[in-house]
Amino acid sequence: MKLKLIFSALLALVTGGAASAKTISLLNVSYDPTRELYVDFNAAFAKYWKAKTGDDVTVKQSHAGSGAQARAINDGLQADVATLALAADIDALYTIGKLVPQDWQKRLPDNSAPYTSTIVLLVRKGNPKGIKDWDDLVKPGVTVVTPNPKTSGGARWNYLAAWGYALKKYGSEDKAKDFIAKLYKNVPVLDSGARGATTTFVQREIGDVAISWENEAFLAIKEYGADKFEIVVPSLSILAEPTVTVVDKVVKKKGTEAVAKAYLDYLYTDEGQEIAARNFYRPRNETIAAKYAKLFPKLELLTIDGDFGGWAKAQKIHFADDGVFDQIYLK
Amino acid sequence: MRTFLPSLRPALGLLSLLIGLPALRAQNRDSVDTEIQALRAQIEQLDAKLRVLERKNEIRDEAAAAAAPATPRITINDRGFALASADGANSIKLRGLVQLDSRLFFGDGGGIANNSFVLRRARLVSEGTFARNYSFQLVSEFGGSAVSIQDANFGINVAPALQLKFGKFKSPVGLELLQSDSWTFFNERSIVTNLVPNRDLGVQASGDLLNGRLSYALGVFGGVPDGGSTTNADFDNEKDVAGRLIAAPFKNEAGAFLQGLSFGVSGSLGREKSTAGRTGGYKTDGQQTFFSYAATTVADGQNWRVSPQLDFRNGSFGLLGEYVASTVNVRPSATGAKVELRNTGWQFAAGYVLTGEASSYAGVVPAANFDPAAGTWGAFEVVGRCSTVNVDDATFPVFASALTNANVARAAGVGLNWYLSKAVAFKIDYYQTRFGFNFAAPAVSATQILRQDEKTFITRFQLAF
Repeated sequence: MKLKLIFSALLALVTGGAASAKTISLLNVSYDPTRELYVDFNAAFAKYWKAKTGDDVTVKQSHAGSGAQARAINDGLQADVATLALAADIDALYTIGKLVPQDWQKRLPDNSAPYTSTIVLLVRKGNPKGIKDWDDLVKPGVTVVTPNPKTSGGARWNYLAAWGYALKKYGSEDKAKDFIAKLYKNVPVLDSGARGATTTFVQREIGDVAISWENEAFLAIKEYGADKFEIVVPSLSILAEPTVTVVDKVVKKKGTEAVAKAYLDYLYTDEGQEIAARNFYRPRNETIAAKYAKLFPKLELLTIDGDFGGWAKAQKIHFADDGVFDQIYLK
Repeated sequence: MRTFLPSLRPALGLLSLLIGLPALRAQNRDSVDTEIQALRAQIEQLDAKLRVLERKNEIRDEAAAAAAPATPRITINDRGFALASADGANSIKLRGLVQLDSRLFFGDGGGIANNSFVLRRARLVSEGTFARNYSFQLVSEFGGSAVSIQDANFGINVAPALQLKFGKFKSPVGLELLQSDSWTFFNERSIVTNLVPNRDLGVQASGDLLNGRLSYALGVFGGVPDGGSTTNADFDNEKDVAGRLIAAPFKNEAGAFLQGLSFGVSGSLGREKSTAGRTGGYKTDGQQTFFSYAATTVADGQNWRVSPQLDFRNGSFGLLGEYVASTVNVRPSATGAKVELRNTGWQFAAGYVLTGEASSYAGVVPAANFDPAAGTWGAFEVVGRCSTVNVDDATFPVFASALTNANVARAAGVGLNWYLSKAVAFKIDYYQTRFGFNFAAPAVSATQILRQDEKTFITRFQLAF
């Protein structure tokens, strides 16, 4: 009888130990403007995960230019998940670091882009320089703020939106190149990331117009007031698809594969989509998108695959060493 | 009319002036406004340029701050050259040790070629850590007559209480032997060090317990003879276990008189089984051999050593003492009768730093380096030592010749150490060793250096960083 009691007590101890809550730490390495989005999302996910498993999960955030973040992960930053500005930066996690499989983008719906955004023009209240469309950005005397496409994912979307507009309007690559060269001559300072560029425009009061993520422009107005800035929606822009992935090599080493995968899956839930919309990202979920339709203006959007032949091609032509950006900016 | 007109001229002039003045004033005002506007525009342009420059500086600072955590640290000082990752988890350190000795023997009857310059040690030390908890050490010796690897080991630092070491390193038995070659009181370690194992191949666990008041080391080694080092290959199938337990009970009591006291015991236990000769020889302070086993003698059976030891430091004063008993089973040849021999020795050495710096097991660091221009002279230390080694009488004449060997060496030494800097030192020692002989020994030893006391000056120029 005594033995039974001891055995039961031991069993209770063992199983009790196994059933006790774990504390899990994840690192989400993201790009510049997603700070606020993931602060909200992480809190919601932690609550969800606790209710589902009883485990506490803490998600640490790291934000910088998307390209710089991809390099940091390849250099050893132990990211459980990467939520970067564009697929090309996550592609680099495969091509350089072999940290994710080649087909990483097929693992989640919508090409692993749970929310989208676009590129708009943020101007000062009253639009003193009369900015209406991309053409106004190349006029002499107009100062434009946009980050460095070499380090910032957002900057690459900005560049491609402007390029797409010029190509469509002027009909040749040479003219588009000339347009882009004129535009970047009006850029006095290249920040390394989108948040830095917003700081340059909003806080340092440099520039007449900032080419900006739509969500970042909304945030600037929310933070600083509609009496200071206004958004100009250009006639044509680009569908920006920030992408997400689990960093396989890291999560396998850390044993966080399941929770990291669940974290990204949660972005696609109604709750995740609501949070994205509340933070001015365009949700994929049609119901949620309809709910927030008034917030997001409708405009003609180019796509990276349809109009630029995909990120690999766009990257090689425009942003690789000696690509078009180097040719026009280093001249 | 002609007379009228001239009289009107001043009036007309005044009139025209009165009429033209407001227009002129308006013209001037426009000009000033234009100028103000131009200046305002210029100020705005300059303000914009200034903001851009300020922002560029901010971006540069941000980039530098972001890059800082990843920037490796380089340290070059009198402790060596070190490269470390920003978080300190990975590092490589290069150090060196050069000792140039002059040995001068006198009163030895002449005819012995023992007065010499010796490149006693010329070592390149590379050591470091990987992923914070993994360490390595590689010590190459270019001094003496051959290039060799003195130490080659790596460690796993599990916790302060448990550190594992694998490879070639010093066996944890001899107190003075475990002290760095650079920081012993004397140029040469005492003769008692002849009785303890030197470098060996093995695995060792060590660590600090009770907040550093107790430290231990315990390892399994291939086994080497007294004073010997491994030739980088195990000699036989047998192994030795060696260990050390040291207490420093007052270590954490700041200001206590006995704070610098540590004492303990070390020892080794093992077996040797060989058909070829494998026994150590013993050297004097002057590095001349006063005893060695016959070439036919082989170690066969259990061996053990025990060594109580203490180290005491208080301010400028330092004291080190150890006793060693080394027991070995030997046969006169592979098939001869086995005999157990026990050799013993002890030493006490003390030092006092005349210039007031602290005496330390890890060396003396001068408060001010030798710099004639600044009028500073470094640190000076006086040292003294006495030591004895007794070879078991049963050794003679079967296992060693009484004709050519001493069975007792009693040595005394005094010295002066001048630490010009942490890295550079000049040391001068005087040693005198008196020999005793087995009753079977002849009146006059066949070995010339044993016919009288060994008297020698050893001076050393040392660079250790």
